[in-house]
Amino acid sequence: MKKYPAIKIKDGKKYFFRFDLDTRVQHIILAATVIILVLTGMPLKFSDTTWAPYLYSVFGGSQMAPTIHKWTGALMLILFVYHVIRVVSGIITNHILPLKREGKMSVGRVTMILLKLPMIPNLKDVKDFFGLMKYLLYFTNEHPHGDEWTWKEKFDYWAPFWGMFVIGITGLIIWNKVIATQIIPGEFINLCLIAHSDEALLAALFLFIWHWYNVHFSTSVFPMGTVFLTGYLSEDLMVEEHYEHYVKVMTKEGLEGEIKPPHGGGNNPTTCGEPETDEPDSPPETTATEAPNNSTQQGGISS
Amino acid sequence: MSLKSRSGPLGYLGIFVLLSIYFLPTGAQGSDVGNCLLCHKYPGLSRVDENAEMRLLYVNEEIFNKSVHAKVKCEGCHTDIKKIPHEPVKPVDCLVLCHIIEPSEEQKFSHKSVETFLADSVHGKKDETGKEKPFSEDMPTCKDCHDNPLFRPLAFVKKVRPGVAEDALGRCRVCHKKEEFIYRFYNHITTRLHKSRSPLNIAQSCGRCHDDPDLVARHNLSTMAGGSYGETFHGKAANLLDESVPDCLDCHVPKGQSVHQMHGNDDLRATTHPENRGQICGSVDCHPGASPQFANYQVHPEFDKEQEPVTYWFTTFFIVLTGGTLLPLMAILFLDLLRRLFPNASFRRRKEKR
Repeated sequence: MKKYPAIKIKDGKKYFFRFDLDTRVQHIILAATVIILVLTGMPLKFSDTTWAPYLYSVFGGSQMAPTIHKWTGALMLILFVYHVIRVVSGIITNHILPLKREGKMSVGRVTMILLKLPMIPNLKDVKDFFGLMKYLLYFTNEHPHGDEWTWKEKFDYWAPFWGMFVIGITGLIIWNKVIATQIIPGEFINLCLIAHSDEALLAALFLFIWHWYNVHFSTSVFPMGTVFLTGYLSEDLMVEEHYEHYVKVMTKEGLEGEIKPPHGGGNNPTTCGEPETDEPDSPPETTATEAPNNSTQQGGISS
Repeated sequence: MSLKSRSGPLGYLGIFVLLSIYFLPTGAQGSDVGNCLLCHKYPGLSRVDENAEMRLLYVNEEIFNKSVHAKVKCEGCHTDIKKIPHEPVKPVDCLVLCHIIEPSEEQKFSHKSVETFLADSVHGKKDETGKEKPFSEDMPTCKDCHDNPLFRPLAFVKKVRPGVAEDALGRCRVCHKKEEFIYRFYNHITTRLHKSRSPLNIAQSCGRCHDDPDLVARHNLSTMAGGSYGETFHGKAANLLDESVPDCLDCHVPKGQSVHQMHGNDDLRATTHPENRGQICGSVDCHPGASPQFANYQVHPEFDKEQEPVTYWFTTFFIVLTGGTLLPLMAILFLDLLRRLFPNASFRRRKEKR
């Protein structure tokens, strides 16, 4: 597996490793399939609106759009299966097998490993969530110091995960209704249709409002965050969202001297309410490490 | 072996004829008034002719009866056959006067006029001056191009659009002479072969009564039929102007009967009676191979707590889930926008570094 440096420096700015190529490609396929599925599916859900026939005809109308929808859905399901296989095999090779080799296999240890996986919500997420509420309601000027993966990212991961599962299964049933009803009662098709379209609407609204706000429209990233393309996050955003992890990585890379203060200037009372103008004096950037660092080679979210 | 030798003693033949008529399936007689199929129905019936070519003399009655000449008596074309058993026959001349009466002029019918058209065409044997063209023997005659075509569904009009199709009228004019007759019968027949309304149009016209809440309540009907149809894939595709989806009539009218012969769901004759539903859904044009369970799909789902509690609570769950997920997130998003106006303001401040 390709090793990614934890910090890359370009034009004197630091960029922090977030997603490996595999994860980025998965994300792009997911994004493309979601958009096509929404565009070919929503005209059906809202078939009695005036815009629906026009949008539907862009995709070839009822002759073509259903075919596009089904095969795009199939591609998304293949992606889902691929992702699950990647995650599970990652857990087995990186955690379970070493444990087995050491002869330390036990239910407790395996449970602990599973609970400590990057995408599993933990107490810190609860704390950060309430911290964010306090911050948003002006009770503090200190943004929560997020870890490598914040509750927002975990939410953005599990919402589509559940969505793809529900929409995928019900979609497959509706697609193959004649075969499916050899086993399940016909009334289930009605329920599948409700689940498929309602969950899809939820997913679409979730992604196009919440996710796009966070990665496109928020003033921190506008017009577009680039981490989904480059895999590396800028230092400013790292400080804003992942301060705890930022400090860890900087320390590990031997750059303690260059650590910026947290977002909102929380630990620097004198600068409160004023724009942050003071850049810490940084030594020449050549000190930044290019050495591979195993501890941060997490392979994005799939390990 | 000649055909003559097969005729045998007339006594046997008589018995055979009587038995054949007795066992002949009803409706399959076609136009075989002369009972030619008595012999010609046997698949192996053939002979080797003078040119040492095998001639198959078998007539497949089932296929013949679906052909455009099904109503013409055998003798109508094989005019030289006057008695049975018959002598070897001459090839059929398509231009003979046929026994059929052409309805617009009430004259005996013939393809003779086609000969005139053909003679005047690029395929005519003579040129404009009346001189025989070189190699005129290569010019086609009727049977070089035509077999005995089978009736087919309306498909020769390449682009279906409203109005009279001139390509179709050209075909009418080959046989029928009176323009007024041609237009009237063309319209009479083709309007019956096309759907005159789109599925959406049909659903809307049924919905004029069946979506009227007062009427539905008065007659104690279980559904607002047009509305609930619109909740299924059938109705949604109809909304998007799909012409191929089933509309009200496709399911509620028994196959092969008129739209006036609909029955209530509790009537055993009704296609939508629980015992018959499977056949309608599983019809060859819709969901072939569908199990009877398939037909339990609710084609008229109602969002009603009493009537369909499962659907009701299932839908409610997703409404709550959608609201419960999106509203808090949108609240956070809104607060986030407000927070960005004054990034460093706060009611309380942290004084110390952790």
